[in-house]
Amino acid sequence: MTKILSVENVELYYDHIYALKGVSIDVAEGETVALIGANGAGKSSILRAITGLRPIKSGQINYEGQRLDGTSAAEVVRKGISMVPEGRRAFPLMSVKDNLLMGAFTRTDKAEIEQTLENVLTRFPRLRERYNQQANTMSGGEQQMMVIGRALMAKPKLLLLDEPSLGIAPKLVQDIARAIVAISRDEKVSILLVEQNSRMALSISNRAYALSTGSIALSGNSKDLMNDDRIKAAYLGGEL
Amino acid sequence: MEQIIANGLYLGAQYALIALGLTLIFSLMNVLNFAHGQMYVFGGFVTYTVVVQLGLPFIVGLFASAVVLAIMGAAIEKFLFAPVVRRSKRDESTMLLAAGVAFFLDAVILLFFGEKQRGVPKIVNGVLNLDMRIIMPYDRILIGVLAILLIVAFIAFMNYSRTGRAMRALAQDKMAAQLMGVNVSRYSMIGFALGAMLAGLVGGLLVTITGVNLGMGGPTSVKAFLMIMIGGAGVISGAIAGGFILGMMESVGLTVLSAYGDITYLVIFASLMVFLAVRPQGLMGKPWG
Repeated sequence: MTKILSVENVELYYDHIYALKGVSIDVAEGETVALIGANGAGKSSILRAITGLRPIKSGQINYEGQRLDGTSAAEVVRKGISMVPEGRRAFPLMSVKDNLLMGAFTRTDKAEIEQTLENVLTRFPRLRERYNQQANTMSGGEQQMMVIGRALMAKPKLLLLDEPSLGIAPKLVQDIARAIVAISRDEKVSILLVEQNSRMALSISNRAYALSTGSIALSGNSKDLMNDDRIKAAYLGGEL
Repeated sequence: MEQIIANGLYLGAQYALIALGLTLIFSLMNVLNFAHGQMYVFGGFVTYTVVVQLGLPFIVGLFASAVVLAIMGAAIEKFLFAPVVRRSKRDESTMLLAAGVAFFLDAVILLFFGEKQRGVPKIVNGVLNLDMRIIMPYDRILIGVLAILLIVAFIAFMNYSRTGRAMRALAQDKMAAQLMGVNVSRYSMIGFALGAMLAGLVGGLLVTITGVNLGMGGPTSVKAFLMIMIGGAGVISGAIAGGFILGMMESVGLTVLSAYGDITYLVIFASLMVFLAVRPQGLMGKPWG
């Protein structure tokens, strides 16, 4: 399988404190890759580096065979990378409709945007019910569906999801996991999923990387990792 | 009574337009544009120059005010505010810069247009008289209607156009807006230009009624701040409410309180202090709507 994204030896600092010290990961076309690890391990920093929200100090990021690092966040979307940020970051005072339309900001063909909008509303029927409702009046789970829909509105080739289960009712976490699986199946999109809910992340991904204080501690097939004693001890607790 | 309301509505529409420009700039960039009143005066002088000195129709003058101020706003944002916002993390820096721009524009106005009061001859003649209850010159009615149309157009633009939506997104969540592909520096510049343009348009409208002079800039900025503090900074509906409320208060004050001397603004300031003590975020205080 061809790689759509490769992150090579990336170092990233916040002021003088390192968040990533030489991290390398890659994502193949059509693949769902999970990044798991404790709070502060650097998972979100990898996504911020990819989207250009944070400059990297060294290393390089390649996307579709081209150098990506140094590209501004607004340009990264235009190359086909959409991110669902941590904490959802819905536009709180906009309607569901306007939130979704913002997702298609980089696209110009009205008919195609309509088509994508219809697909998103069919995928998340809740959004159709709440179409004209203001985003901040919806529950966390509904908002999460909306921002995933918003990211799909850009028709991305690579979808970055930052903690989609964070702060969501447990019952809805399953819905979101199912939605991610369905998106990976239906759309031509590769997914890089950052999750603290390691069990969920491993169960819906092909491969995974486990991060610990800014570097990759373990990586491999998600199924294998699920049964790895070190992973069980460190990330899955005693629940297995 | 009807007369007071009619005057208040006429004044409020102008004020609301001024406040909209100020609140737009504030919500996008977190910049309090102390030079907003000077931009308004500049707009008035542009219309004056085009209509009186060049002898062109009023609508051309109004259009010229809009264009000149939009370009001025874009340039001020790009070459002054954007670099300061990029380098400084403190809000005071942009406030100082805005105050500096206000003094600078005062000097530019003095240099180009002089210190005299300037006005444009009446654009329509005649007076509307409804049983002596409402007496309003037709030119005031026309200017009031134009102001209301501009408010409606602005709201429609912010709500239904792609650019307007992007500006709302930027005001509500800068990081998320970037992730959608909104170029922050470009849209900050567009927003600043649009805000300045609104100030210039009001200047062009009011120069036909009250005229403009060099000294009006500062007081107009203060009034604009009053309006967005009443309504809630950064909120479209708040700016409109604040504009009409101040217009109405002024109209009522000038009629009712005139017997006690020139105390309207004293009363307005005093009641605003009480109001802000109870509700510091203003009527509709929230990030942006």
